[in-house]
Amino acid sequence: MIEQGPLLERLLAGDFICAVSDEAAFRHLQDESIREQIDAYLRPLNRRLATNTDGTVYFLAWLRLDEAAREQLSRQLGDTVGSLMPMLEWLQWVQEALGRDGLAGPGDVLKPADFSSRCEDHQGLRERLERLASDPFFGSQSDQLDAQLKQVFKRLKEHGYLQQPHADRQYYVVTGKIDYLIDLVRFIRDEENLPIEDQAPTQQSLL
Amino acid sequence: MSGSDPHALESRLISTGVERLALLGKHAETLMAGYACDEVPLEGLSTTALNRLLAARILWRPDEHSGVKLAPKVRELIAEMLADETRRHVNADVAETLELVRTLVQSYREARDAGEYWRQEQQLLRLRQEVDDLNGRFADAIDSLWRRLNSDFGFVSRLGDKIRENERAQKQIVRLLDGLELIKFDELIELVGSDGALRKLLVSGLQQQLTHHYTSLREVQRRLIELMARFRQQQARSRLVAGMVGFLREHPNFVPGNYALRSQVPELINRAAPIMPAGAVALDHDADARLVAELIHHLPRPASRPEPVTAAGAAELPEDTRVTARQQALREDVEGFYLAVVDHDGEALSALAYLQESDLEWDPEIWLFQVIADYQGLPGSEQRAFRLRQVETQASPFNHLYLIHDVQLQLALLPA
Repeated sequence: MIEQGPLLERLLAGDFICAVSDEAAFRHLQDESIREQIDAYLRPLNRRLATNTDGTVYFLAWLRLDEAAREQLSRQLGDTVGSLMPMLEWLQWVQEALGRDGLAGPGDVLKPADFSSRCEDHQGLRERLERLASDPFFGSQSDQLDAQLKQVFKRLKEHGYLQQPHADRQYYVVTGKIDYLIDLVRFIRDEENLPIEDQAPTQQSLL
Repeated sequence: MSGSDPHALESRLISTGVERLALLGKHAETLMAGYACDEVPLEGLSTTALNRLLAARILWRPDEHSGVKLAPKVRELIAEMLADETRRHVNADVAETLELVRTLVQSYREARDAGEYWRQEQQLLRLRQEVDDLNGRFADAIDSLWRRLNSDFGFVSRLGDKIRENERAQKQIVRLLDGLELIKFDELIELVGSDGALRKLLVSGLQQQLTHHYTSLREVQRRLIELMARFRQQQARSRLVAGMVGFLREHPNFVPGNYALRSQVPELINRAAPIMPAGAVALDHDADARLVAELIHHLPRPASRPEPVTAAGAAELPEDTRVTARQQALREDVEGFYLAVVDHDGEALSALAYLQESDLEWDPEIWLFQVIADYQGLPGSEQRAFRLRQVETQASPFNHLYLIHDVQLQLALLPA
């Protein structure tokens, strides 16, 4: 169990473990016997391993839910729901800034410098970044483009949505926590019966 | 049929073929312009040259009034040479090839039975070419499919187009697999009979190659389906996010249910509170002593040496007498607290409780500060006579800031 020490520490600290954030640990977690060992270790701490719909991220869940745990979960859910709009708008902004037709997903590399040059060429993107950065979730006080970008990336890194492989190099990798966020959006849509369609209208099959 | 005629026919075919192939090279630029656009540009093309190209069926004119276009086979040839996936055709018309193979085997048999060796050779050569063509068509089709797969359908940019191209590729695979199904080895074995050369060509050789194609097609099919799932997932994500953003904009006050209060809390939202593991140096493990000593040795030195506590006495600051008097009163009251502790026979006293009980009017924070400051200002020997315990909590799980709520002071039991 000692070799899983660093992984346990990260899990206990509330980190999401995915193939991007910690490849070796994520591989370990694919092994059912290791998952069982970890669960056995976590039992006295009233915690257990949990994963998202597609099994692309692991995190810790409460084993038994008492009053305090439910209260913590309510608070946490409130925070996540509060961050939903800025996070989703950020995803759309990235998609448009990079001229892609898909959202950024785990493993995608994002460089603030790229966004900086796109914003300089494109007033619309610049204005949207300005609005995003000043959202309390990102909390930028600056009116400088680069400072806003820096703050946005910093907050996303703090929240575990981005990983910075080298502290002195300005590029970031999207982590599997994005998958979790998307799963949560889908969950809320399904639970609340929101009129949001995610499947393309079925096409007439070609003859 | 005499033996010399076919030879003459053969050499005439070859010389015409060379002439017409040369036309492709000679007019390469014009032909490529025709490949890129709808029609072949006629400027710079003499009437003789145009007629030659038409006669060679390199170009054709759909009707009197329309322009001149590349012949479909030439277009296909160029697409194949360029591996141009937007225009490459997958064509493995197996049925027709099989029909031809049957006919050729019949002629081959007749020639063999009649002892016409040259004709027999010619039929075998054509059979070999037909089988090679069939193989080549499968190989080309598979190559085209792999290229499209490996480039993630990079020749189209929009996700919707990628999905349609993937669908098309999957249909091609189904057609190719259907084609392979048409080749029945039982039938071929019967057809070739006991002829060794035919058996080698149409049974053992072909079977080996087709098995290979079959495996490749199944593999590329599996990968295309996986890629399709990824495309669809990407598309679904974009739509979902766009839909949710739209919904939240229209309903800024939308609040989802509190799923944490359900009897069955959904898996996704059950995320346990973080625990920060903390550790401290243990001195009860002799083996670690050296390591600990080394670590301490490497601790960064404080930037400036702390001033001795006695030199930082508040009374040394130039202040007006009223402030000095208050300061003095505070110190006297704290001294009273210390005396009470001494009188308390080794029991701990809460500084805040004492403050309240004694009806003193000091701000609790200032009071605690002074109690701690006095303790730290005591000479070492006197300090050891007291034990000071801080009642504190961590400000946040994410750092090591502690907030002091109270201090407990008690007389230490001096070692005998």
